[in-house]
Amino acid sequence: MSLEQRDLDYGERPEGELDFDELADLLGDHVLDREQHVHTEGFVVRADEVATVLSKLKRRAGFDHMSCVTAQEYQDRYESIYHLKKYKDPTQELSIVVPTPSDNPTSQSGSGVYETANWHEREAYDLVGIEYDEHPDLRRILLPDTWQGHPLSRDYNQEKPQIVSLKQNPNPMQTKTRESGDSDTMFLNIGPHHPATHGVLHLKTVLDGEQVVDVDPDIGYLHRCEEQMCQQSTYRHQIMPYPDRWDYLSSGILNEWAYARTAEELADIDVPEYAQVIRTMGAELCRIASHLLAVGTFGLDIYGDFTALFMYTITDRERIENILEDLTGQRLMFNYLRLGGVAWDLPEPREDFFQKIRNFTAEFPESLQEYHNMLSSNEIFHMRVQDTGILPPEEAKQYGCTGPVARGSGIDYDLRRDDPYGYYDELDWNVITDDGCDNYSRAYVRLEEMRESIRIIDQCVDVLEEWPEDDREIQSNVPRTLKPDPDTEIYRAVEGAKGELGIYIRSDGTAKPARFKIRSPAFCNLQSLEVMSEGEYIPDLIASLGSLDVVLGEVDR
Amino acid sequence: MIGVLKGLATTMKHALDGETFTVAYPEEEPDVSPRFRGVHKFSQERCIWCRQCENVCPNDTIQIVMDDKRNGEQYNLHIGQCIYCRLCEEVCPVEAIVLTQNFEFVADTKDEFALNKEELKNVPWYNDLDPIESREPDRQAWVGEGEGEVDYQ
Amino acid sequence: MTLPDTISDLLGIGGIAGDLVGALLGAVLVGSIILAQAAVAGPWAKRKITAAFTDRIAIDKIGPMGLGYIIVDSVRLLSKELIIPEGVDRPAYDIAPVLLAGSALLGFAVIPMGSGIQLADPEVGLIYVFAVASLASVALVMAGYSSNNKYSFLGGLRAVAQNLAYEIPLILTGISVVIFAGSLQMSEIVAAQSQTLVELGPIAIPAWYAILNPFAFVLFLAANLAEVGRNPFDLPEAGQEIVAGFQTEYSSVYFVLLYLGEFVHIFLGGALIATIFLGGPAGPILPGIVWFLIKIWGVFLLTQWFRSAVPRVRIDQMIEIGWKGLLVLAFANLFLTAIIVGVLPT
Repeated sequence: MSLEQRDLDYGERPEGELDFDELADLLGDHVLDREQHVHTEGFVVRADEVATVLSKLKRRAGFDHMSCVTAQEYQDRYESIYHLKKYKDPTQELSIVVPTPSDNPTSQSGSGVYETANWHEREAYDLVGIEYDEHPDLRRILLPDTWQGHPLSRDYNQEKPQIVSLKQNPNPMQTKTRESGDSDTMFLNIGPHHPATHGVLHLKTVLDGEQVVDVDPDIGYLHRCEEQMCQQSTYRHQIMPYPDRWDYLSSGILNEWAYARTAEELADIDVPEYAQVIRTMGAELCRIASHLLAVGTFGLDIYGDFTALFMYTITDRERIENILEDLTGQRLMFNYLRLGGVAWDLPEPREDFFQKIRNFTAEFPESLQEYHNMLSSNEIFHMRVQDTGILPPEEAKQYGCTGPVARGSGIDYDLRRDDPYGYYDELDWNVITDDGCDNYSRAYVRLEEMRESIRIIDQCVDVLEEWPEDDREIQSNVPRTLKPDPDTEIYRAVEGAKGELGIYIRSDGTAKPARFKIRSPAFCNLQSLEVMSEGEYIPDLIASLGSLDVVLGEVDR
Repeated sequence: MIGVLKGLATTMKHALDGETFTVAYPEEEPDVSPRFRGVHKFSQERCIWCRQCENVCPNDTIQIVMDDKRNGEQYNLHIGQCIYCRLCEEVCPVEAIVLTQNFEFVADTKDEFALNKEELKNVPWYNDLDPIESREPDRQAWVGEGEGEVDYQ
Repeated sequence: MTLPDTISDLLGIGGIAGDLVGALLGAVLVGSIILAQAAVAGPWAKRKITAAFTDRIAIDKIGPMGLGYIIVDSVRLLSKELIIPEGVDRPAYDIAPVLLAGSALLGFAVIPMGSGIQLADPEVGLIYVFAVASLASVALVMAGYSSNNKYSFLGGLRAVAQNLAYEIPLILTGISVVIFAGSLQMSEIVAAQSQTLVELGPIAIPAWYAILNPFAFVLFLAANLAEVGRNPFDLPEAGQEIVAGFQTEYSSVYFVLLYLGEFVHIFLGGALIATIFLGGPAGPILPGIVWFLIKIWGVFLLTQWFRSAVPRVRIDQMIEIGWKGLLVLAFANLFLTAIIVGVLPT
């Protein structure tokens, strides 16, 4: 009976797996071909039927989460891949593969079905050069408007420098302010150099008095071609240092894990249990460090620039970094994970190291209480952040929000539990959600998540202390050069500090990936800023931005 | 108002306990972990010129020049470009390149960060700590060995 | 006897010349005292206090406890290039910093600082202080409007809205003290607080208005925080929202003047609180001027404490608190005081 009580989506088996044949039946003639990817099946559909297919899958088959859009150019065609998932069970995945001819790479936009496709398709257009019909706003997103060519397409000359002088860019001051001469609104550039944009983010804002009428995030100031750098590096060693630099605010191990998980599954590498425990512990330390910074800077946005809260969180983060430095050898750019394990065992003497972590986990609840004193129990703070920056769950799903942003909107979605990896499913911890949907909930979720992370770390230390000495295998045997089979495709994600950090890799039989695509959580979360802040005051816009906790290094990659 | 007072009390508690977390650098030396990865040290005596470090380096920081008989001539490393990932040390079969725990490196121009093999050799050990031993206990760096005493070639 | 008279008597110069010399020398003395406080507060005390709240050491390299930074910072700030952006409204842009610093300093003319240091003692002293202190908002508007910068503009607008909303409760609360004291003259107000309220053994609790009417004291403190633009009401220069508000486009000497003006304003707020609520320079053993400085530094410390621990309110909330909250409370307080004073003549 219990199985029947659960509402099954179309194409879903009672045991929670996907029935691809049934899904193919649902789509009928739309499916031209079926491809086998490592993580799921890919349905090849016609370029002018994308919206139909996506909306069918969304309405009938329950694929409410469009995780990512990957675009790439093959020898003979372009291809966009829509990675679909379900919020209720992210292991049910489906790829929609849309090939387009080389001479006319035009495909229908999916942004009418999933809001989040908007930015993803803009990025695909910008970097790869696929044009999307019916896209509401097909502009370049990462590169300047004056850029010539599409850097990840095959005929692009990578040697030729493109220097875009300031004069070539339109001056927003001249056009935007002048044309609305008789209106009551004011155009304001918030950023790229602004105290509260948490990096080089540029918000093109239209204000009516102090109220935000329209906000348009302009990103790409920190675009460092991370995807291409990974495409030019070898799987075995060279890619691993780079994930640290996507979200550089101390979530290094989480990012590394995203790559490690994807590549390990791609090349079929086992990871010893012992290494998984160490990874889990390191990752949770990183998560706390990252959340601490998020909460601290959020406090900074609400309190003003002299708040003590920021320094308290930084102090605690510093303690974590000391532990991570002992473990990994660096404070931020760890490069600690290796394919098939970790770089080193725990530092000797192990007892001292365990003691250091124990001291931290024992003292941390007290610090957490202080943060609660200064944030969640403070009436003025309540006044400022409650009921501002509302992001309803439906909107959050539309925009592909994940991580604390989704959980602050009451969406119970955490890849550590829903799509288990590492050692998480052996441990006892909870996923924190809050139904407030406002700036306050997002901050609150982060605060409470740290408490859960402390629990995980404590359990990991218990496990590590008990681990038999002769079974401490930190790395499985991995060949010195790794060449996965040609034309294997995989998309895998982990729960990063900001949300679902996914990586798509297509191999071409060489030691370097043919396509390396990063699904950055902050990129997707940032899109929802518009919904959250329109109609609110500037301070609320700033607070919403703070509560989204974007890291521009990860947004722009 | 209770919550506001709680916040005020929390900050005042921190002000009154007189503890400081910051370190008065440079008078006081911050704690550096034995595993910390700092400036490289290179030993020509140990190096077998296998070029593995050059190959593995993710961003072409290491430049090796050899003559036509495959004898090493130059070993250049730009410590300002390096991302301190330690892959060179990891692949080196003879511990010829080692990342010391030295974290203090300053220069007036970027060019001064391009170190040749002599300069790399003269990078001091940090507090005579053996950086490799703490990272991989079954290997050892050449801390304390005399100048040029060991010749692997 | 006010300070200029004392000086002219000491120098033995009579007539108009004596008045003039006395007034000038007195003004120099008072100005120096206040500017010295601001100089210590700005580059040094503020950093040290914030550091104490946040577990840091802060400046300690130059001079004992880093006091040398007062000189170093002054030289640094004054030697920077004065950048005047294109399109600023020149006279207003130039006058604003001077006006801000000047208006705050003017207020100290009637404050009795103890030990006979008081430049003038007009019968309308309290009104005079409120009047010149309000000039500051004119300066902020000028700065915001003339800078030709949208952030400055927003800051200027916020400053007007804030000052309108908080000046009235501030003055009304101040007036409630006048009802107690029966005079607007500063020396009278201080004198009225000099009696002893109750004696608890050896400790004599003075009849300070802060003790007689704590409600008014708290109201005045809150309104004063808004008046000087400090947390939770530091909206005109809310760094995270509008960069630096009205002072975004100011650099070098002008910046120093604005910065200085703000600190002098905090001290003027402190001086007002000390005078009308804390018995002015009254206090045991130590000379009056020392007690006076202790009190204004106490208020300064309080603003810094709030800065580290109280969130900033939003602009609409601030206006609401001002008009719907503080103003009503201020009127209530006024009536209450009037009734108490009228019914219980002591």
